Amino acid sequence: MKARFRILVNFVLFLLLSFFYVNGQEKVANYGNIPDEVVAFRKYREAYKYHFIEPMQFYGAGREKPAPTDLEEVRLGFLGPLEGSMIVDLGMQMLQGSMLAIEEANNKGGYNGTPFKLMVHNDFGLWGAAANEVIKMDDEGIWAWVGTIDDINSHVAIRATLKSEILVVNPGNPDPTYTETAIPWVIRVIPDDRQSCYALVNRVYRIDNYPRVAVIRTTGRYGREGTKHFNRTATRLGFPIIIEERFNDGESDFKPQLERIKKISPDAILMWGNARESGLIVKQIRELGMEQPIFGSDRMVSPEFLKIAGKHAEGVVTTCQYNPNTDDPKYKAFKANYVKRFDQEPDVFAAHAYDAINIIIEAIHKVGLNRVLIRDVATDMKTFQGHEGITGIMIFDGAWNNIRPIFMAEVHNGKFEFYPAPPWVQAKQ
Amino acid sequence: MKKLIKKKFVRYTLLIVVILGVTIIGLTLNRRSFADQNVSGRDRDLTDFSTIESLEKARKGYNVKNGAEKMPVYGNWQNFYKKDGLPSDKAYTVRINGDQVLVGTHDGLAVYENGEWRTYTTEDGLAHNGVVSIDVNVLTGDVWLGTLGGLTRWSAGKFETFDQFNSGMPNDLVYSVFCFGKDVWMATGGGAGSYDNYTKKWEIFTEQNAPMHEPWTYSVSAGDGKVWIACWGGGVVEYNIETKQFRDYNDPDGFMEIDLDPDDGVIHAITTATYYAEGILWVATYFGLSRYDGRNWKGYFDHDCGLISNFINFVRAEGPVAFICTDLGLSTFNSDTWVTYKRNDNNEDGKAIVMKGTEVIKEIPLSPSISHNFVIGVDVEDDVIWLATSKGVSRGERIN
Repeated sequence: MKARFRILVNFVLFLLLSFFYVNGQEKVANYGNIPDEVVAFRKYREAYKYHFIEPMQFYGAGREKPAPTDLEEVRLGFLGPLEGSMIVDLGMQMLQGSMLAIEEANNKGGYNGTPFKLMVHNDFGLWGAAANEVIKMDDEGIWAWVGTIDDINSHVAIRATLKSEILVVNPGNPDPTYTETAIPWVIRVIPDDRQSCYALVNRVYRIDNYPRVAVIRTTGRYGREGTKHFNRTATRLGFPIIIEERFNDGESDFKPQLERIKKISPDAILMWGNARESGLIVKQIRELGMEQPIFGSDRMVSPEFLKIAGKHAEGVVTTCQYNPNTDDPKYKAFKANYVKRFDQEPDVFAAHAYDAINIIIEAIHKVGLNRVLIRDVATDMKTFQGHEGITGIMIFDGAWNNIRPIFMAEVHNGKFEFYPAPPWVQAKQ
Repeated sequence: MKKLIKKKFVRYTLLIVVILGVTIIGLTLNRRSFADQNVSGRDRDLTDFSTIESLEKARKGYNVKNGAEKMPVYGNWQNFYKKDGLPSDKAYTVRINGDQVLVGTHDGLAVYENGEWRTYTTEDGLAHNGVVSIDVNVLTGDVWLGTLGGLTRWSAGKFETFDQFNSGMPNDLVYSVFCFGKDVWMATGGGAGSYDNYTKKWEIFTEQNAPMHEPWTYSVSAGDGKVWIACWGGGVVEYNIETKQFRDYNDPDGFMEIDLDPDDGVIHAITTATYYAEGILWVATYFGLSRYDGRNWKGYFDHDCGLISNFINFVRAEGPVAFICTDLGLSTFNSDTWVTYKRNDNNEDGKAIVMKGTEVIKEIPLSPSISHNFVIGVDVEDDVIWLATSKGVSRGERIN
């Protein structure tokens, strides 16, 4: 009797556990890969409303509009920092990646024999120039566009693209708030700073166990929004940042800020800025005799950073949105063609722009020349969900962010080495 | 039977079955309740009133009760498209100006007068054919047009353009224009601005001199000596014209991905429009609606009231009634009763849905209904309402 009873109890337990498991799977996943323990306020209460769980739909008109039959070229837009900006180098890489994708598509016959043409626009100029440029692209009759890198210009541009109803595929702006605007006309193929911050927090606090961290960042939106999720997440884990210093883009002497950091002897330093400034900061940290481990943003993954920081770059840890040293034949082919065409190694912006343009071209091949239908197919969470680009797989969340696993980048022997970001380490019970 | 129940194995089996049953029922109910929480206004299963009798009844003014009769209900819709004389089916904004109705479309300004449409474009002097905002200065009678490529003043039959090169405009993309006294206020892609019609002076408001996070503004409105700027990502900035003091209102939880409490402030930092009437400030977002009476905030979402969609393009208020332009229809609300106008998916008919909270009081059939559910602009005067939509322009009359 006891044996039968035990069997019965085990059977019931099995049923119950299966039921709980199946039921649990239906729970809505956290937006943006947010680790459970750092979901805002969840430690205390549930929020009244969680956004971005389901993708926005576009309910406006336009799907019925017939495709033009008299086109001599199929125009796609490009918006990036090409003149007058401090990140022209990044903009040029993004442009070259886009151009390569267009040229390859045209070599394959364009769109049903009609060539694609890139309508190139600079995002740097008078206030709100990016908005004006999107309107110009609308006037030019583009079908979709890619861009840009700068946070502010990207935000300005997406409002204009919403008004104009043109799809934008973003290959370069890592600002998490960019897609948190509920605009159903934007997807982002490059993983954002939310993903970078979670990977860095995991590494700094959970794996390397550095509880006292100092932050030095650029004063602009890139630094402010970039470090936001690092700061918030660290605080939620019980390790608020002990000091935050700021600098302006273009500065060269960071000693005043670093002296203040040195005084409080942090366990580690996190920096967030462009390659030039980051290289100089690393150099000056070591020159001041500070030996703390250094972590930083993905813009440090650059030859410029390595050149400026020199030997001091050794051991620096950052994130990278993809693995530039991958053996994936598609990426290797892209890299070889890129070097052949532009006599330069591609960077993260070139690679993601190449993927972005190819998504647009594939969408056009699928649905034809109709802006709304191009949007529909690019955002339907089916056609391009799991899409294999040269930068890796595309896994879109409810805000059309690519939340695929990212990589860590670590300098060894003067070179960056890349490896997958380790999974989130849970708090010890 | 008693013997059977006395058996240990059977007793335990019964006990386990009961526990299992209760657990499954509990979890099922919990799941249903979770699903209910997430159901949106658009998915509610509404009774369809499609008989001739009900239609007749609607025309005579429905006997909506319990305070709902105070809400205007509009019907007798008449729709206009490109084939009727509009320069484009895509209309962004509409403004009633005496005997004229001004409509901003993607391809020019359309003016409706004496039953006919007339179009004005860049060839006539418009800054850009995409006219996204219109207002009329009651002091001068001038019409101000916010376009995708500059600000245009239409005065005495002439168009005059203001842009970043010939004036103090913050940016050429003018999302919103609002005339307030002698001043013309605008929200642009590069900040808010104002133009003093008397002194001809411009003033710009950006993150450099106002409590904005960034110089992105989307809408502006004014009343009672104050201006309210909808700042994209920065909530609402209030500017007191007399004291020149700013005050900002933002989502207190500080997180883009949640709203912790709907009534603790503006429901989201991404605001798309503001409108002030009768002491109430209405704030539109792509995440729902906020209402501020000067003391308390109240948030509204599509799952907890009669708001048809959280994606709100624009809001205008006349007296106590807010007219909320969403991507799924026009919702109107007087802080008590909701009336939503929605067109059927498969024909030109539709309905007005009268609701209190989440309870549907009446559904009034409309034949025809509004031209499209994606409503971008609205204006109301006396018993007439005009809508600008993603496909066409609609005119309705009050029927109750």
